[in-house]
Amino acid sequence: MATTFKTLNSANDVTSTRTLLHEAIPLTGTIASGTYTDENIKNYSHGMFESVYDYPYLSSSANHIFDITNGYSTTSPCSSSTSVQNSKKLNVYSQMAQVLVGYDASGNIQDFDQDGDIAAGGAKINEALFVNFSRLLTKDEIKKGSFSLSTTTAGTPAAGNTTLTLQDHNAATSYKVNSPAGEYGILYTGSAAEATASNGVGLVYYQAGVAVLSGSVFAASQMGTGGAFIAEGFQAISTGSTIDVMANCFRNRLTNISFNNTVELNSTIYFCRASHNEFNYSNNPTYLSESQIRVKNSTTDNPVSYVTTVGLYSSDNELLAVAKLSEPLKKDPNTEVTLRVRLDF
Amino acid sequence: MAFLDNSGDIILDAVLTDTGRMRLAKGDGSFKIAKFALGDDEINYQLYNKSHASGSAYYDIEIVQTPVLEAFTNNTSTLKSKLVTISRTNLLYLPQIVNNTTVGLQSNSTNNILTVLVDQTTVEDLTIASTGDYVNGYRIGDTKNAIVMDQGIKSNAIGDGSSVVLDADLVETQFMIEIDNRFGNIWDGNGAAQATPSFVDDDNVATYYLSKSTNKSYFGKSGTRMSGEVLSGPRGNRLKFLVAPSVDLNSSTYLFTQLGSTATLGAAVYQIDTTVRITGVTTGYRVDLPIRFVKKQ
Repeated sequence: MATTFKTLNSANDVTSTRTLLHEAIPLTGTIASGTYTDENIKNYSHGMFESVYDYPYLSSSANHIFDITNGYSTTSPCSSSTSVQNSKKLNVYSQMAQVLVGYDASGNIQDFDQDGDIAAGGAKINEALFVNFSRLLTKDEIKKGSFSLSTTTAGTPAAGNTTLTLQDHNAATSYKVNSPAGEYGILYTGSAAEATASNGVGLVYYQAGVAVLSGSVFAASQMGTGGAFIAEGFQAISTGSTIDVMANCFRNRLTNISFNNTVELNSTIYFCRASHNEFNYSNNPTYLSESQIRVKNSTTDNPVSYVTTVGLYSSDNELLAVAKLSEPLKKDPNTEVTLRVRLDF
Repeated sequence: MAFLDNSGDIILDAVLTDTGRMRLAKGDGSFKIAKFALGDDEINYQLYNKSHASGSAYYDIEIVQTPVLEAFTNNTSTLKSKLVTISRTNLLYLPQIVNNTTVGLQSNSTNNILTVLVDQTTVEDLTIASTGDYVNGYRIGDTKNAIVMDQGIKSNAIGDGSSVVLDADLVETQFMIEIDNRFGNIWDGNGAAQATPSFVDDDNVATYYLSKSTNKSYFGKSGTRMSGEVLSGPRGNRLKFLVAPSVDLNSSTYLFTQLGSTATLGAAVYQIDTTVRITGVTTGYRVDLPIRFVKKQ
């Protein structure tokens, strides 16, 4: 019986694979602090956060790359009814902690923990800067052990004084899993060898794509504001200025952010096997001339066909997926072909 | 000893067709890949030069240099011609499907295309109707001749069709008809019963499967008993059917004004041209039949 289809054997011809793809994401500080003279910085009337784009945000080709905001917990010395935007900063901290740290047994929102060992108590990050990366950049997650953020922590930003680099050292093998938002690592200053629990200055949530920086990173007296430097410390700006001002201070101090993102690619591979006695004829309208096969002179000649396309069909013959070869592939009774067709999800 | 060239690994990335995406989005389990087919849409076998001066290695030199297009995601635009599995290698002739206008509906002599008149006014008023060469969309059963498609071998080189039968493994016992569901539907050759489409895809293309065992009224006499044949060689089965206009074409001019054109056929008419595709399920051989729906203005 002539046929144009071949049934795939689910046991031998179909397999599934999972591949993790990574791409490097380098963000230079100038994008956040000057390339577009702040036309790529979007502020909102609610004043809860500031958005950074890779191009002036009014352009349709601009991509959102990250948001900056800050907040503090109710136990922070910054928390006071006299502080500027006090409730908003408390709310931001609570919201981020609620999502990233979760609740204790009594249903209370837990604070960010310096070493990630929440159950053991210990030092908390009570004043924090949050950098929320766009899904466009982080994709499925930030690759563990690849995150690096450099910022000046004191002096005038232009002078580049006291640059500190925060990295998630050793996170590829040592990360925390006690967050409701997925896995996270501790950000350390200094080298991998110095990465001990007590040296943690922030947290990076890999699946959520959020970096939490402790206010303790910055000098007490010289956090300053970006272009117009003022000698104010982190705590002074936290209490005396709006979230937008704090975000401006931080992004003008940024010198570099880099990480690798991760895309989890699930593929199904179909092995389309054409045996020697299969697919040697064609129903291409040009294959016949007055019903005679053009590629044969006599009955003893081998039939020949040329493959350019593989079609994957449902049981009711509906074409569900198509794959193309780069060039025609000759098929005759002397050849067997296995075409490995990958369908990504 | 040199290394073998392993650059020829054939790993292909597939793209979902629009139907594939639609079924995946439904989430009802209808997205299940069960089989595959190989296609050769870009190949022109007329380029196979069996008398190339440089020898047999050069017979297909122009074919293998054919550039291949990227995949179409429209499921009806790709894999129009498929490779066929026939275990025998000694075949020199393959059957085709041809429109038999000797005993079946022929192109209307006025507009030179198979014509469907969609309503009573059109049938009664147009002079084109006097030829009788049309499908009566008002009373489908009054249509003079059905569309007749014969399957078989054109050449009598391997025997005369009146005495030699087509090899059983090449006989089409099931045909697939595809038609734009907005324009028309399929009836048997006598206009007595309407066929039920197996499915209608996202492009409004309805697919009808007509099997000799379950849809006898769509099949005429076959093989050596076939009369009024247009094939000289061995013959398979004869398919007889009619294309009736949809309710939309019959009762409204909306689709005509959106997708059609106007013309004068004795009187001013609307018309829509479309294609009905007839495919033999066994060999996959396919014929595209141009059809015109006509409505008097």
